[in-house]
Amino acid sequence: MTWRTVVGTLATFVTTVVIAFWLINEPARMKEAEEGFAGRSMEAGAAIYENNCTRCHGPAGGGLVGLAPAINNPALFDGTRLAEVGWAGSLHDFVYSTISGGRPLASSGTTWPQRMPTWSTEYGGPLRHDQVRDVTAFVLNWGRAYEEGITALQNPETATTSMEPIDAVGIDINTPELPPGNPDDGEALTVSLGCTACHIQTEVGPAWLAENHPDGTGIGTRAGERIVAADYTGAATTAEQYLRESIVRTNEYVVEGYEPGIMVATYGETLTAQNLSDIISYLITLK
Amino acid sequence: MSLFRIHAPILDDIRSDGLMPTLIAKTDEVVTRLTAGLNVEEIRSVLRGDPPKRPNPRVKPHADGFWMHMRPTYFHEKVMTLYPTFRLGWLSVYFLVFETITGLVLMLWYTPSPLRAFEDMQNIMSNVPLGLMMRDLHRLGAEFMVMVVLLHMLRTFITGSYKKPRQFTWFTGGVLLLLTLFLSFSGYLLPWDQLSLWAVTIGASMAEATPVIGREVNLLVRGGPDFGANGLLRFYLLHVFALPLIAFIFLGVHYYKVIIHGHSLPPKEEEIGEDTARKVPMEKRSYFLPDVLTKEVYWIVIWTALLILMVTVGNWHAPLEPHADSQVTPLHTTAPWYFLWLQGMLKLGDKVFWGVIAPGILVNFVFVMPYLEVGPSRRYIHRRVGLSVCAISVIAFSILTYMGTPYHAVSSSPDQEIVAALVPQTHPGPVRTASFDELLPGEYSSDKWNSAPTENLREIMETFDYEINKYGSELPGAVGIMNIVDWQVGLKKVTLSVVWNNGEETFTQNVYVHEDSKHGH
Ligand code: HEM
Repeated sequence: MTWRTVVGTLATFVTTVVIAFWLINEPARMKEAEEGFAGRSMEAGAAIYENNCTRCHGPAGGGLVGLAPAINNPALFDGTRLAEVGWAGSLHDFVYSTISGGRPLASSGTTWPQRMPTWSTEYGGPLRHDQVRDVTAFVLNWGRAYEEGITALQNPETATTSMEPIDAVGIDINTPELPPGNPDDGEALTVSLGCTACHIQTEVGPAWLAENHPDGTGIGTRAGERIVAADYTGAATTAEQYLRESIVRTNEYVVEGYEPGIMVATYGETLTAQNLSDIISYLITLK
Repeated sequence: MSLFRIHAPILDDIRSDGLMPTLIAKTDEVVTRLTAGLNVEEIRSVLRGDPPKRPNPRVKPHADGFWMHMRPTYFHEKVMTLYPTFRLGWLSVYFLVFETITGLVLMLWYTPSPLRAFEDMQNIMSNVPLGLMMRDLHRLGAEFMVMVVLLHMLRTFITGSYKKPRQFTWFTGGVLLLLTLFLSFSGYLLPWDQLSLWAVTIGASMAEATPVIGREVNLLVRGGPDFGANGLLRFYLLHVFALPLIAFIFLGVHYYKVIIHGHSLPPKEEEIGEDTARKVPMEKRSYFLPDVLTKEVYWIVIWTALLILMVTVGNWHAPLEPHADSQVTPLHTTAPWYFLWLQGMLKLGDKVFWGVIAPGILVNFVFVMPYLEVGPSRRYIHRRVGLSVCAISVIAFSILTYMGTPYHAVSSSPDQEIVAALVPQTHPGPVRTASFDELLPGEYSSDKWNSAPTENLREIMETFDYEINKYGSELPGAVGIMNIVDWQVGLKKVTLSVVWNNGEETFTQNVYVHEDSKHGH
C-alpha cells in the first residue's frame, strides 16, 4: 500500500503542476488558436472567392470594368464607403450582409448595370453562412494591405486593375493596327481579366475549348467559320478580326442561344492594343 | 419572557464539557453520519492500515450508506490482483463517469445546430479556458472507452466468466457494448466538420440497406434524406440524453448481477462445474475498506494523470477538419475505427447481406452465446474450441478492419491520389503544415526537387516525386509542378499539378495557405 501512496501522490502532484502550467499559458494558446481559425477561414474564403466571385470582381478583387466594382479598394477600408452608404455598423457586417443578401438595387453613388446576386442560403443563394463568413474574412484581408501600405504584391496575376488612364485600343475593328501578340501573355490576361470564368470554367458564354463545345471545335476554329456563316451580322473578314470585334463590340453579333448584353461591353476602353493582340493571338491557338 | 425560546443543546454541552471537547465530539458525530457509520478514529485506523476490530465496524457503511451499499463488503483476494479482471470492467465504469463529467463541461458551450455547431467547437478550442483540454479529454476518453469495453468483453470470454450463472451478466454487457459504440458514434457527428459528417454518413448508410423498411429507418436516423439540422439534433439528444440514461440503467443491472454472483475466480481456483465466488473463506477476504477503495482511488489518479498528460505534454489532440459540406465528399472517407470492420465487410459484396444480415447475425450471436455454449468447465485446457474460435474472430475482425481502411480496394485516380498526398482533404498534410516563410513564390518541379531553395520546399517536392514514382506505371512521363504565388498579405496560393503523357494530360488543384492558420496544431 505504501508504494501506491507514493506513486499516487506523485501522479497527483505532476498532474497539478502540468495543469497549472497549462493554465498560465492558456491566454497565449487561445489567442494563437483564434488566429489560426481566422487564418483557416481566409484560406477557405479564398477558394470560395475563386469559384464564385472572380467572374465579376476579378481574381484579385480589382473589379472588372463595366461589370462590378473593385473590392480591394482602400475606400472600403478607410470608412469612405461606409459613410457613403450611411452604414452605421461594422465593416465586417457591411461586407457580410452585402455578400449574404446581394444588392437588389444599385447602392448610393453607383450606377453598375448589373445587380449582385444573393449568396447566402438564407436568401436563396448557394453559400452556407459559414462560407459567407469565410469569404468575408478573405475580402477583409485586403484591408491588411491597405493598413500596411502595400500597394501591390509581386505576382502579376494579383495586380489590381490600374486606376491610371490607359491608352485604350477603342472599339474600331480596323484601327489602330495591332502589334504582334504573345499567346502566353494573352492566356494570362484571360485569367486575370476573368474571361475564363464565363468561357472556360462555366458556360455563361460560348465555350472556348474544343472539348467543352458541342461542335468539338475551339474558338480559334469557329472564328474563321463564323465570318462566312449565313446568319453572321458583323463586319469582320478574318478570324482575328472576328475575335477583335467580339471583344470590343460585343453586341455587333451575338452567337445563337445567347442574349445580347451579357458580356462586358467596355473592353475597348480598358484594353491596350497590346493586350488585345495578346488575347487574340492566344484565342486563335484554341483550335 | 421571550416569545421564542431557542433551544441549542450544543450550548448546554459546551457549558458542561467545555468548548474543545464538545466540538470534537460534534465533529465526530457529523463524520459518522456522513460516512454512514465510521467515526474519525475508525477512519484514521483505516488509513493507517490497521486490521479491523471484531466485529468489523467497517462493514456498517455498506449496510447503511447508499453509495457503499452498491459495493460489496469484501472481495476474494484472488480477484484483487491484475489477473483475472485486468480491472477492465472497473475501467469501463471509470470512462463512463469520466465522459459524463467532461461531456457536461462541453455541453455548456455547444449548440446542436448546423448553423452554430462548428463555430461552437472552434470557440471551445480558442476561447474557453481549458476548453481545448476538455474536448481532447472527452474525445480521448471515448476512444479509450471503446477499447477498454472491447477488451473487457474479450477477457470475460477468455476466463469463461460468461458461463452459468453469469449468462445474463454477459447479456447485459452486450447491451452495454452496443450502447458504448453508439454513444461514441453519435458523438462523432456533433463537431459538424467534414470528418463527422462523412464518417457518420458512411456508418448510417448501413441503415439504408435494411430490407423492406430501409427508407423509413434511414429517415428516422437522419431526420431527412441527408444529415441536416434534424439529424444533428437527433444525434445530440441520443448522445447527451437517451444513450447515457440507458447506459447507466444497464450498468446498474450489469453490476448488480456481478455482485450477486460474485466476481468469478480464476478458472484453476475452483473444481470444474463449481462456482465458489460467493463463498469466500474468512482468511481470503480482502475488505472494501480499505483495500479495494485505496486501490480504486489509486487507479483513478493514475488514469486521470495519464489522460491529462497525453493531451498536454503528449500533444494528443482531437481533430477538427473543415466545416461539414454535404456537397463535397472527401477523397478517403472512413467510418470510425470501431466500425471499419463493417466497412470492410461491405467491400465483400452485397450491401444487404454484408451490411445488415451478417452483422445482425454476429451481434445476436454475442447475446445468445452463453446460452448456447454450455460446457461446464472454465479451464483453458478444456475450452480449446471456444478459445480458438475467439482467437480466429479477433484475427478476422482485424483483417476486416484493415479491409475497411482506404488501403484496401478503393479505386481512385492516381493523379488525384498524388495531389491528395500533399494536400489531403482529411488532414493538414505537408503543404499546409510547411513553414509559411519557406513557401517561396516560384515554380518547382518534382523531378528537380533537390534544387528547391528551402528545406520545406525540398521536403514537399521530394514527397511529390515519391508519390509520382509510386504511380509511375499508370501515368507515363508524369511530373509534378508546384506553383506558389503571393495572393494577399499573409496568404499564398499554391497550385499543384500533375502533368503526364508528354504534357497532354494534367490534373490541377489549388490550395491557399495563410501564415497564421497553424494546421496540425
Ligand atoms: C460500458 C460497458 C461495461 C461496463 C461499465 C462493465 C462493467 C463491469 C464491471 C465493473 C464488472 C466487474 C469487474 C470485472 O469483471 O472486470 C463487470 C463484469 C462482467 N462483465 Fe462487464 N461491463 C461492460 C461491458 C461488458 C461487456 C461488453 C460484456 C460482454 C459482452 C460484459 C460482461 C461481463 C461479465 C460476464 C462480467 C462478470 C465477470 C466475472 O464475474 O468475472 N461486460 N462488468
